Amino acid sequence: MGKISAPRNNREFIEACVKSGDAVRIKQEVDWDNEAGAIVRRCCELGEAAPFMESIKDYPGFSYFGAPLSTYRRMAISLGMDPNSTLPQIGAEYLKRTNSEPVAPVVIDKRDAPCKENILLGADADLCKLPVPLVHDGDGGRYVGTWHAVITKHPVRGDVNWGMYRQMMWDSRTMSGAVFPFSDLGKALTEYYLPRGEGCPFATAIGLSPLAAMAACAPSPIPEPELTGMLSGEPVRLVKCETNDLEVPADAEIIIEGMILPDYKVEEGPFGEYTGYRTSPRDFRVTFRVDAITYRNNATMTISNMGVPQDEGQLLRSFSLGLELEKLLKSQGIPVTGVYMHPRSTHHMMIVGVKPTYAGIAMQIAQLAFGSKLGPWFHMVMVVDDQTDIFNWDEVYHAFCTRCNPERGIHVFKNTTGTALYPHATPHDRKYSIGSQVLFDCLWPVDWDKTNDVPTLVSFKNVYPKDIQEKVVNNWADYGFRGAKK
Amino acid sequence: MANKWEVFVMDLGELAEGKELELTIRTLNDGLHKYTYQRAKVEVSSTLDKFADSLQVRLGRGQLSDRKFSIRVIERVERLPARYR
Ligand SMILES: Cc1cc2nc3c(=O)[nH]c(=O)nc-3n(C[C@H](O)[C@H](O)[C@H](O)COP(=O)(O)O)c2cc1C
Ligand SMILES: [Mn+2]
Repeated sequence: MGKISAPRNNREFIEACVKSGDAVRIKQEVDWDNEAGAIVRRCCELGEAAPFMESIKDYPGFSYFGAPLSTYRRMAISLGMDPNSTLPQIGAEYLKRTNSEPVAPVVIDKRDAPCKENILLGADADLCKLPVPLVHDGDGGRYVGTWHAVITKHPVRGDVNWGMYRQMMWDSRTMSGAVFPFSDLGKALTEYYLPRGEGCPFATAIGLSPLAAMAACAPSPIPEPELTGMLSGEPVRLVKCETNDLEVPADAEIIIEGMILPDYKVEEGPFGEYTGYRTSPRDFRVTFRVDAITYRNNATMTISNMGVPQDEGQLLRSFSLGLELEKLLKSQGIPVTGVYMHPRSTHHMMIVGVKPTYAGIAMQIAQLAFGSKLGPWFHMVMVVDDQTDIFNWDEVYHAFCTRCNPERGIHVFKNTTGTALYPHATPHDRKYSIGSQVLFDCLWPVDWDKTNDVPTLVSFKNVYPKDIQEKVVNNWADYGFRGAKK
Repeated sequence: MANKWEVFVMDLGELAEGKELELTIRTLNDGLHKYTYQRAKVEVSSTLDKFADSLQVRLGRGQLSDRKFSIRVIERVERLPARYR
């Protein structure tokens, strides 16, 4: 693998984004109470540069960085690529790096760890000392964790998990969060800690390197510290926590240490979500008690503001869910030509391109997709042939509206796994993470006669001889047309 | 000085008047602790000058209710088990 030169921490990332015009420094004071959230939201909806807010009301010395990865340009910068890289290029780079050898992290001395520059312990570890924003008016609370990693260790296997699971400040030393039962942390809690009545040590890391954040919300089976190393081409630097045995990224801006309590729950939510709604109800959820806070001098808090497209909840998750499904399908030998989720689907629709070489291939794809670890996060799979450009919604939509047979092409899967966030799910299904899913098979059936039964696509590209196409394209301007030569 | 509080309810019927209620309320007082919660025994009234403190209400998905109340916080209720304090 060629040398990767990706930003190694959040500060280098902000610098790179400012330099390329993909972040804006905001010098004037911004209020943590709604104003910062509103700025980030508007940046997402306009596809703007990321706001780097350098002065926060009531919190001298702290800053905010919002909408870190809500554009493909910033995603390219995070990977150390040219900001103008195309989506297929960025995707190919992600696949190349995440198919390489895992890169183990290294543990460094506390004296060399920037996240230890300030240490607050016990009663001093008051979350209100951090500029925790009210992200959307009407949210159930100020959210500490919107772009972060919750770090835990599996009590038996010992493997480390970094997961992005939202965390609300309930009071000065208590947070509550939506940790879904099918997530890695959710499983460790329900399989081990809760039945034993044992507390689960955790550490929340905020202001991560963009690739560590990408790993924390990527549905990859590779443990996130190793995955971060693969994405960035160098080992992650970790340092031991103050109050438990976990290790945290030494370059993170803010670390919150504590315990997930097995026998005490406080309310969480509602919260603006990636679907573009507040859907999941306020409920008693996983509760985190804070024992310590450590942070860098001039710490920057990262904020993702989820709502209507497009924010990183849609853009980045669509990206990694699609590519992780592509890896899974290829590992099963299915002749897929690509997988893509439009961020505007709020990562609800997987579009899979495949060479339709045998019967039932779309069903096989849907069963693998819905049956995988990724499955709860989307409820539609649309399978098109290899002649359809999966990145071109006009082509995909045309294929769907013309080839998907209402009786034969639509298959509903019932009683699957869902999330509390699906706007279309019933309140009961949301509460218990009960899902339902659907396959749209847009392939021509293999038992149709290819010559006489399968319709011919009538397009410039498909029906004219090559030489005529070339002649027409080359003469386009001479005919008097001014449009682009496509 | 009068305090400002807020509560989330699914149904306004949860805010019965003329009796003691136990609610999770958050402070809307300006300052670093704005929006932090506590559990408390309270009494509420739709007569706005009955109690010194005010209570604003939000519904299940964060919608601000136009019903306003006054509130008396009788005492704080600590549910966190002592071993964690
Ligand atoms: C901004 C953001 C917020 C998220 N919030 C949650 C959450 O509250 N709960 C959850 O289970 N997953 C949430 N996710 C999705 C998880 O990060 C994602 O499923 C990740 O792969 C989980 O890791 P795991 O496979 O180790 O459980 C969020 C993702 C993003 C990008
Ligand atoms: Mn994981």
